[in-house]
Amino acid sequence: MSLLTRLAWRSLRHRPWQALLLLFALCLSTTTLTLALAVSETADGAWDRVFAATKGAHVTLKARYAENVDPARREQLRAEQFAAQSTAPGVVAASGPWPLLFTTGEVGSTRMELRLQVRAATSSVVDQPLLVSGRWLDGGDGVVLEDGLATTMRVGPGGAVTIAGQRLPVRGTAMTMSIFRFPKEDPALIWISPAAAARLDPAAVEYGYDWIDLRLANPADAAIFAPAGTAGPEVNWDVETWQDRRAANRNELEVFGTALLIVGTMLAALTVSTAAVLVAWRVAAQTRQVGVLKAVGATPWQVTGALLVEYLAVAGLAVAVGLTAGTFVAPLLARSVRTLYGAPQAPPITWSRAAAATALALAVVLLATVRPALRGIRHSTLRSLTAAVRAPRRSSRLARFANRFGLPLLAELGLRTALRRPGRTLATTLGTALALAMVTSSLALDRKVREIRVTVSGSTDLNDVGKVDLYQELRAVVLVAAALLLALAVVNAIITAAFAARDSARNHAILRALGATPGQTVTALVIAQVAVCLLAGVIGIPLGVALFAAAGGGEAALSPTTYLAVILAATLLYALIVSIPARLLARPSIAPTLTYE
Amino acid sequence: MSEVLRVRALTRHYPGDGSPVRAVDGVDLVIEQGEFVSVMGPSGCGKSTLLHLLGGLERPTAGELSIDGHRVERLSEAAWARLRRRTIGFLFQAFHLVDELTAVENVELPALLAGAPRRRARRAAMELLDRLEVGGRARHLPSRLSGGESQRVALARALINQPLLVLADEPTGNLDTHATGEILKLFADLRDTRRTLLVVTHDPRVAATADRLLSMRDGSIVEDTRLVGGPSRQAVLAQITGWEA
Repeated sequence: MSLLTRLAWRSLRHRPWQALLLLFALCLSTTTLTLALAVSETADGAWDRVFAATKGAHVTLKARYAENVDPARREQLRAEQFAAQSTAPGVVAASGPWPLLFTTGEVGSTRMELRLQVRAATSSVVDQPLLVSGRWLDGGDGVVLEDGLATTMRVGPGGAVTIAGQRLPVRGTAMTMSIFRFPKEDPALIWISPAAAARLDPAAVEYGYDWIDLRLANPADAAIFAPAGTAGPEVNWDVETWQDRRAANRNELEVFGTALLIVGTMLAALTVSTAAVLVAWRVAAQTRQVGVLKAVGATPWQVTGALLVEYLAVAGLAVAVGLTAGTFVAPLLARSVRTLYGAPQAPPITWSRAAAATALALAVVLLATVRPALRGIRHSTLRSLTAAVRAPRRSSRLARFANRFGLPLLAELGLRTALRRPGRTLATTLGTALALAMVTSSLALDRKVREIRVTVSGSTDLNDVGKVDLYQELRAVVLVAAALLLALAVVNAIITAAFAARDSARNHAILRALGATPGQTVTALVIAQVAVCLLAGVIGIPLGVALFAAAGGGEAALSPTTYLAVILAATLLYALIVSIPARLLARPSIAPTLTYE
Repeated sequence: MSEVLRVRALTRHYPGDGSPVRAVDGVDLVIEQGEFVSVMGPSGCGKSTLLHLLGGLERPTAGELSIDGHRVERLSEAAWARLRRRTIGFLFQAFHLVDELTAVENVELPALLAGAPRRRARRAAMELLDRLEVGGRARHLPSRLSGGESQRVALARALINQPLLVLADEPTGNLDTHATGEILKLFADLRDTRRTLLVVTHDPRVAATADRLLSMRDGSIVEDTRLVGGPSRQAVLAQITGWEA
C-alpha cells in the first residue's frame, strides 16, 4: 500500500463519523441524479417491450369519411383504401381496416363514453393486442377491455360490461400501443367482434372512422409517411406515428424526471456546502498532523494527495451506492404512474448515467477539498504545528453595523465570531436556503393539488381525475425531495453548529471567567446561528416561489402566515439543533479551555 | 482587616494511572483585604490549579472555600459567574482578550455583564485605559496590540468592576523585561489602593513586590512568608530561589 493510501486509510479510520456524514450526503445526491436520469429510460424499456410483443404499428391511419358517403360506398372505399395503403412504398405489413364506433356504456357500475374497435378473432400481423388476462375475441359475444380501463374500473375476465344497452361478458384484458392507456385516452377502448357489434342497437352507436395499422421497412420513415393515392374529397386521413406515441408515453414520467433533476441539482449544491464544511473541519482537525508530515519531509502535494485519496474513496463508494439505488428505485417510481404501458423494470446501468453520477461526486469532492487543502498546505510548517487560529486583524463592517443596532453584547459577539468564517457561514446559509426553498415549493404544490381537487370535485371527466392523480404523485416526489433536502440541511446545521461551538469555546471560556453564565453563552451561540437561519429564510422562500413558477406551477398562492410559519418552524428547529453543541460547550469547567489555549 | 478569602483543606485530585494525581492537596489559607500575595513553586506544583479553584474556574474535589465571608465551593456555575462579575478580576499569562472585540470593548465586557448601561461602561473603560496609558489603543483589536499593551488592557478589564480580589496567573510570563517592569509598576499602584491581589508567578521580581509569599510543592503550601515587617525581601527570595541576595 502506498504512503498516500495508508495515510488516507488511517485518517478515515480515525474519524469515521465525518466520513460517514459525507458519504450519506454524497449518496443522497448520486441516488437522486441517477433516479432522475433512469426513470424515463424505465418507461422507454417497458414501452419497447410491449411494442415488440404486439408487433406495434409504425403508422396508424384513421380514415374519416365525408358525411355524404353512404354505408355501401363506405364499404367500397374501405376495401380500396386498405389495398392502396397496404401496398404503398415502404409498407411491409398492414392490418385493418378496423371500424371504430362510439357509444356509451357501463363499466364497473360507472357510466361512461366508450370507443369500440371491431376486430376479427384471428390474430393480426400488425398491432395484435397483447393479452394481460383471459383470452382474445372468439367471434362470439365476449369483449376484451383495454388494460388501463380494466385496471381503473377493476373489471376483468368473468365480469360483464353494458354496451349500448347490451350486457356482454368480458373475455379478457389486453394492451395495445396504438392508443394511450385509459384514463389518459378517453373515451376508453373496448375490442368487440363483428358479430357482437352487429347486435348492438344502431341508434345507440355512432360510426367514427376506420383504423389501418402499417409496419414500415424503415421505422424511421414513419415521420414522413403520407397516405398513398388520392383519397379525394370522400376521405380525410389522420396520421399517427410510433415516435409520437413513444414520446407521449413518457411525458408524465418526464415531469417526475424534471422534478428529480431539479432536486438532484439542489441536493448536489447542498452536498457541496456540507462537504466543504466537513472537509474544512477535517483539515482544521488535521492541521497539526499536516505540520508533522511536512516537518518529517512530506511535500505539500503529498499532503494534498492523501486528502484527495481519502475523499475520492468516499466519492467512489457514493457513486456505486447512488447508481445501484437510483436504478432500482426508478421502476418503483414509474409503476406508480397508472397511465404507463407494461411493467417498468430497472434499466441497465449505462455509461452516461455512471459518468453523470461520477462527475457529480467528483465535482463535490474537488470543490470541497481543493480550497481547504491548499490553505492547509500553504501555512508554514511551524504554524501548522502550533495549530493556532489566527486572530482577526480588523473588525468586519457587518460587525460594526450590528454594533450600531445596539444588539445585546453576547449576541453581537456571537455574530462577530460567525463572521470570522464568512465562507462557512455563506455555505450554511445557502444550504439552509435551498432546503427552505424546497419546503416552500412543496407547500405551494400541496396547495395546488387542493385547488384542483376542489375544481374537479364531482367532475365525471376522467381526465380531471388523471390530472389530480398526476399532481398527487408529483407532490409525493416533491415532499420526499423536501424531506431529503431537510435531512441534509439538518446534517449541515449540526456540523456547522459543532464547528461554531468549537470556534467559540475560547471566547466563551473567557466570557465565563469574566462573569457570563453558561446560559448566556449558550444563548449567544444560538442567536448567532439563528441569524444565519433567518437570512436563509429571506433567500429560500422567494427562491422556492420562483422555483415553483419556473417548474410550471404558476403563482404560489400561499398566505403570508404560511411563509412566516415556515421561517418560524425552521428557526425553532435550527435553534434546537444548535443548542445541543452549545450546551455541550457550556461544560462546568472553564480552566482546561483557557489552560490549553 | 477583614478576610477576603478563607480556604480549608482545599483539595483537587485528577484521575491518573492507578492512584489519582493530587494537584492541590489539602491547602489551608487566609487572605486579608488589601494583601498582595504571590505564589511560587516549580512547574506542576499546583499553583495555577489553586488559582483556578479560588476563582471558581475549576471545582474542588474536597474542602471549604469562603469569599468575603460566604461559602462558595458548592455554588452552581451560574452563581459562580455572578460572583465573579463583581468580586473577582482575572489576569492570565496569555491575556485571553476576546480577539473579535477592540481593546475598549474587551474592557467594558465585565461591566456590561454586570448590568451597567453601555454608555457608563464605555466611559469607565476609557478612563481605565487612559489611566493605564493605553487609551490611544482603545479602538484596536488585540492582534494589533503588543504583549505589554495587551496585558494592560487585560488588567483594565480585571479592574473595571472594582473587584474585591484580583487573581493573576503568570501575568508577566509572556512579556519582555520592559513590559514586565510596567506591569510591576501597576501592581505597586494596586497595592497602594489596598486592593487584594493573588499572583501566581515564576518570576522572583514579581514575587518580590508582594506582601506575602506562598511556596508550593506537590499540591501543598510548604512555606508562608511575610515580606513586610520580616526579613528583607531579597533575603527571602534568595532563600527560595537559591539566588544570591
